[in-house]
Amino acid sequence: MALLEVHNLTKDFDGLRANDDISFTLDQGELVGLIGPNGAGKTTLFNCISGLHPVTSGRIIFDGQEITQLKPYEVARRGLARTFQVYVASGDLTVEENVMVGCFMRTRSRAQAKARAREILTDLRLSDLADYLMSELPVSAQKRVTMATALGSDPKLLLLDEVAAGLNPSEIDEIMTSIKHVHDDLGVTVMLIEHVMELVMKVSHRVVVLDYGKKIAEGEPAKVAKDPLVIKAYLGERYVREHAEELK
Amino acid sequence: METLRNTFDFSDFPRIDLMVAGFVAIFLVVFPLVPHSSFAMATMIQFLMFSLYGMGWNTIGGYGGQVDLGKAQYVGIGAYTTAVMLIRWDVPFWFSMPIGVCLAVGWSFIIGYPLFRLTGHYFAIATIATSLVLKDIFEVWDFVGAARGLEISPIKYSPPDFLRLIFKEDIYYYYIILGFFFLGILYVNWFRKSRLGFQLRSIKDNEEVAQSLGINVHWAKIKTYAIATAFVSLVGSFHACYIKNIEPEDTMSLDLSILIALMAMLGGAGSLWGPIIGAGVLIPLKSYLKEWLGAKAGLVGIDLIFYSLIIMVVSAAEPRGIWGIVEKIRRRKQV
Ligand SMILES: Nc1ncnc2c1ncn2[C@@H]1O[C@H](COP(=O)(O)OP(=O)(O)OP(=O)(O)O)[C@@H](O)[C@H]1O
Ligand SMILES: [Mg+2]
Repeated sequence: MALLEVHNLTKDFDGLRANDDISFTLDQGELVGLIGPNGAGKTTLFNCISGLHPVTSGRIIFDGQEITQLKPYEVARRGLARTFQVYVASGDLTVEENVMVGCFMRTRSRAQAKARAREILTDLRLSDLADYLMSELPVSAQKRVTMATALGSDPKLLLLDEVAAGLNPSEIDEIMTSIKHVHDDLGVTVMLIEHVMELVMKVSHRVVVLDYGKKIAEGEPAKVAKDPLVIKAYLGERYVREHAEELK
Repeated sequence: METLRNTFDFSDFPRIDLMVAGFVAIFLVVFPLVPHSSFAMATMIQFLMFSLYGMGWNTIGGYGGQVDLGKAQYVGIGAYTTAVMLIRWDVPFWFSMPIGVCLAVGWSFIIGYPLFRLTGHYFAIATIATSLVLKDIFEVWDFVGAARGLEISPIKYSPPDFLRLIFKEDIYYYYIILGFFFLGILYVNWFRKSRLGFQLRSIKDNEEVAQSLGINVHWAKIKTYAIATAFVSLVGSFHACYIKNIEPEDTMSLDLSILIALMAMLGGAGSLWGPIIGAGVLIPLKSYLKEWLGAKAGLVGIDLIFYSLIIMVVSAAEPRGIWGIVEKIRRRKQV
């Protein structure tokens, strides 16, 4: 069953077409990658889906209902959560309080929000960090906390924007485990923007590829990686050469 | 049930905080019983009033990070409602105060709706402007005494009048505002742990993230602005009965708006104790400076210069005020 349908989505920023007639669907229970070179329009696509940017044209259907015109908080309340590529931790919320903000979407009770936040933190192996301020954490941990916060709202669909950017290999492993846990065990449908190819190609069932705002390919990771258009746009000949074995 | 528990639950504060708070509370309760000058009494009442102003401001300005520099207009609405209703129709404080709060909150929705479409400096400037507009209106509005203001003449009543809040001795006013002070602390203690409190803190952190977590940012701000308004309007009503002589220049001035914000910012915006600490430092300073320097030397505004200096020093050292410095030291010790 389709959980998210994007139909002919176009987004213009005065003169610049950041998303150009993009269509795709996500099925319930999928884990899909969204890749493309810098400036391809990936974040913009997330911003349009989550209601942060009004779309220029096109329709977005989530869980059987049109959400194209909805405000971000309305979209979120329907069960579509997201993280942000750039997160500035300025405030004085602790990790646990941060996750509680997410949990408060589904309850008024502080006790319930707190209990749920603890559960999620334990689940994502973040409980040791519960009392730290966000600003005291390294970026890698911050990204996992924003994921935990988004999960607090109990979403059906989670959009992750470059949660592995700037992390070292062991941190990437950790976050990959978290993502797989969220998808496999918690049953959340996930779409992730990622530049770290090792991660996205390994975990995704399918990938969607953008270039200059257009969707240029879509399909299984191995197939997409062999697509000449994709290779040219993004991966570079080198990646294909180095991973020749895996791609076969 | 849970609401009640949250209201009275201070257990997330370190024991030392609670001990200090306990001592201060005891001091506040027994203060009128120990020998004191009438000047000290007046200063203490001002301290309690400004603590309450600051607590109200702190909900939207501190926890929510929306620098509101227009709170005086709501002090004015509260004060004028109580004064007008008492003078014209002999309505007691306990009726006119809630009516004043309702009028102020109603006005805050009208003002807040467009105001919160703005952010940052634009928001701060717009709050100043709206407050000054209301003051200008009151200055030419004959019904409320225009620029001369209103005077409640105590001879008409037979003090102590607990219904109308007309007393000869300040001690009555002291205990009444002290009651509100304790209620205010309990309310903010609930607020900071409530869903709305968390939403506001999230908004202060990052509005886009807050929205993505299902928070209607605009509405959450308007609601909290109304809460802050209720606090200052209530104190405004009290002010009318206590001072008995109100005019736009002192109840609705820009000075007052800024002082309210400074109180909370100096003590520590976004913390329960901050506004009380801020008022505890600034109000005695203000009173004594005025007494010693301002009046005697005729240097108008020297107190203003003095405490704006303090603000600059503190905010350069730690933007979260005196309480921010305390917290910083504590966290450093923990690590
Ligand atoms: N708010 C905005 N206003 C104007 N232009 C924008 C805005 N947001 C994005 N753009 C432009 O739209 C294009 C797509 O940007 P977007 O951030 O979606 O790319 P991306 O694929 O996420 O890139 P990256 O991998 O670097 O994150 C870029 O040219 C960018 O400059
Ligand atoms: Mg991006």
